[in-house]
Amino acid sequence: MQASNLIPVLDPNPLPAPYWLLKLLLLVTFMLHIVAMNFMLGGAVLALTAKWSAQSKEHGKRVFFDVAKKLPVLLPATITLGIAPLLFLQVLYGQFFYTSSIVMAWPWFLVLVLLTVAYYGFYYVSFRSGHDSHRVGGVMLVSTLLVVLVGFAFSNNITLSQTPVRWAAKYFARPSGWNLNLTEPTLIPRFLHFMVAAIAVGGLMLVFMALANWKRDNEYARQLLQFGGKAFMYATMAQFVVGPVFLFTLPRDLRMMYMGDNPLATALLLVGIAGGIAALVVMSGALRSGNIRAAAFTVPAIIAVVIASMTVMRDLLRDAYLQPYFHPGQFTVKTQWAVLPLFLALFVAGVVLWLVMMRRYGLLGGREKVSEPAAKAVVSD
Amino acid sequence: MNYPVWDVSFGAGLLIALVAILHVFVSHFAVGGGLFLVVTERRARRRNDAALLAWLKKHTKFFVLVTVVFGAISGVGIWFTIGLISPTATSDLIHIFVWGWAIEWVFFFIEITAALLYLYGWDKLDAKTHEWYGWIYFINAYLSLVVINGIVAFMLTSGSWVRNHEFWRGFFNPTYFPSLAFRTAIALALAGIYALVTASVEKDAALKARLVRWSAWWTIPSLAVLPALGWWYIRRIPHDLWASARGPMPTATAYAGHAVILLAVVFVLALLTLVRPGRMHVSFSLLVLLAALGAMGSFEFVRESVRKPFVISNYLYANSLYSAAIPGDGGFSVDEVSSAGVLKSAKWIRVRTLTATNQADVGREIFRVECASCHTADAYRGLNRYIALRQWDQNKIQAMLGGLEFMHNGVMPAFAGTDAERGALAAYLTSIQPISAQAAAAATDGATVFAQNCSMCHQVKASDSLFQNLPVDPAAAGDALKDLTSLFPLMPDLKLTDQQRPALVAWLNTQRSAKGFGQAAQGGK
Repeated sequence: MQASNLIPVLDPNPLPAPYWLLKLLLLVTFMLHIVAMNFMLGGAVLALTAKWSAQSKEHGKRVFFDVAKKLPVLLPATITLGIAPLLFLQVLYGQFFYTSSIVMAWPWFLVLVLLTVAYYGFYYVSFRSGHDSHRVGGVMLVSTLLVVLVGFAFSNNITLSQTPVRWAAKYFARPSGWNLNLTEPTLIPRFLHFMVAAIAVGGLMLVFMALANWKRDNEYARQLLQFGGKAFMYATMAQFVVGPVFLFTLPRDLRMMYMGDNPLATALLLVGIAGGIAALVVMSGALRSGNIRAAAFTVPAIIAVVIASMTVMRDLLRDAYLQPYFHPGQFTVKTQWAVLPLFLALFVAGVVLWLVMMRRYGLLGGREKVSEPAAKAVVSD
Repeated sequence: MNYPVWDVSFGAGLLIALVAILHVFVSHFAVGGGLFLVVTERRARRRNDAALLAWLKKHTKFFVLVTVVFGAISGVGIWFTIGLISPTATSDLIHIFVWGWAIEWVFFFIEITAALLYLYGWDKLDAKTHEWYGWIYFINAYLSLVVINGIVAFMLTSGSWVRNHEFWRGFFNPTYFPSLAFRTAIALALAGIYALVTASVEKDAALKARLVRWSAWWTIPSLAVLPALGWWYIRRIPHDLWASARGPMPTATAYAGHAVILLAVVFVLALLTLVRPGRMHVSFSLLVLLAALGAMGSFEFVRESVRKPFVISNYLYANSLYSAAIPGDGGFSVDEVSSAGVLKSAKWIRVRTLTATNQADVGREIFRVECASCHTADAYRGLNRYIALRQWDQNKIQAMLGGLEFMHNGVMPAFAGTDAERGALAAYLTSIQPISAQAAAAATDGATVFAQNCSMCHQVKASDSLFQNLPVDPAAAGDALKDLTSLFPLMPDLKLTDQQRPALVAWLNTQRSAKGFGQAAQGGK
């Protein structure tokens, strides 16, 4: 059965905007999603690490709960920021994404169940703030593992959506949808690439927490900086093993894309490598000298560039995988001018409102609007 | 056929219903409950009511845990599920309404942020700022309903979009406003019903009584206006679609009944909470909640059933075939598949040649790509039950498959495929519930003959074509029944036995006299 015969035809409705705009929105929102995911998952892993490995039990406990309190916010942030790329992915790549989802329907559906359980677990831990019991650690561990499984399901689905040659055998063997994409050689390296990145960026989140505590509690902040900074460094170093393995598991023509065949892809890979090295150097200097500004501003700025280049590289890889079946020119485009400007206006207004909301709350550099009597009236229950 | 079909053993339709009903039950609470929070907070602060404020803080926690966690994930869940079960419809909707969804996403993002800041802000913010977050939450939550309602209503009544394909025509479709009003009332009612749950665990009896009465103010008036709004809603649904909910189609009619009864039950229970509000037990509040879930679920079932055979009205059938050939449909309309054949058209099918020995196997594949989005063999909407009920043998099934679009007031699309493929599907269906030709011909009393052979399309009423067209004279009627296609060319070519025909005619004539339309078709045609 020829894979190209199995690719579903596009539906008759034209693209409601130019291809490039939808692609841009896909990439930008994916990047935001992945940063939130990294904070959430990396944060959870590091919180568990702190709890179980910190030399000072008190310190480990404090880090654990400081991160745990953020998880019930970071998980919905990840989900909410994930909705937009999922939407634009379906607009452009629905033929591939729906099909691979159906081929592995049950694992894909179970993502919802796993997420729900993980989410309630994170809430449980955050509500038990300060209660340092085995149960709290256990719940946190289970929630974290469930989120890791969700990530694994995503890696399976995305790799499967890019390899239509695998569809028929899997689907016809089990149309019930109990399939994964375990025989895909890039699956594990790709998955690890994301997981390790999450730990690195999770480390940066601890560095941000160190920045926030720098004046209030300098000793704790310095411990956070060391812990988060080291986590960032170890994970980034590990990436220099995982990354090349991922690259070398790619089919030859796709690998060569990053090794000279495609100038853009090659340049982006070099940016990624150089950025990783630069971030390591800056972080290592910052940890030695206790320079919070370098760790909390320079390194994240470099990493933002790395994440952006990785996001584009990932997209180039997808389009290269799908090259035999998919071309941007296949779409008819009929821009919905009657509604697109409304979206853009609301999007801008939404970003502004969001920033106002955060600042009014005292986040992102705003001043808290606190009124002691009001707070007391409520707390007194 | 264009996409693979996920084979859900217990029924794809049941899974989607489960996810969707649980989601709407929470998401409507997320909207109405938002208004409840800010209005209650204002009231408590104006009256300097610390006890009410303290309860509201706990209620906020409950609200966020239910709506932000379960509501948000199950909302994504509907998307996951429809993509798995109706990928063609999802793809259509995404391409038609991506900017609607993108706008909804903006509102949703603000909504979630505001909900969390409102929750965490209880201990942190001054009253005015805290209420400000509450209002932002509610306004954005409502706006997300304003947007998604357009897309959901579009699926039921696509209106003039089918002709002009304009975004706003599809969005502000015939049921847009009644559906919005109806859902708004549901949202407000649910705000009070969920509040009963957190009120019921309150220990202070006086506070509990106040809370229960306050909840009743939200629930009872909202429930009271629902019938009127429902009536408006129904009036805006095209008559032929709504007819299927009142006709012999079992699910829609049954669920419409359940919806009305459960709505009345919720109303009565809500009134009963006022009898001894200070002593309401938690189990009673859960009973109200459960009844409301049942009512809401029944309503959604009716909406979905009424929409059948379409998933997007007048455009796409529930089995992902377009109702008419349109440019760019890839050959996946009923007419195109009927002329080319399923085995040639379908992408996700393994056996492409039909032989004398593989009939049932090919039939199973056809069943999967054409029927499994709604039916199973032996579970949810299991065809084995229908076949057993009607006692159809293979020949009869094959004949009946030729007239699916007439059954139950047109609740199903026509069978798409060649005659040989229809035969193969009949062979498969017989294999899941074997009925012998002997058993199929066994019924000799008129009522049973009617039930087994006619009742899926015909009803006992004067306006029914059967009573209009069939001669009253027993001999003439018996002759006419020998060749049904001569009565109406699209009738399935059923062969009733020599015993069955006169029995059926006699029974039909007793019905005519009993119901008083004996003279209507005197002489017949």
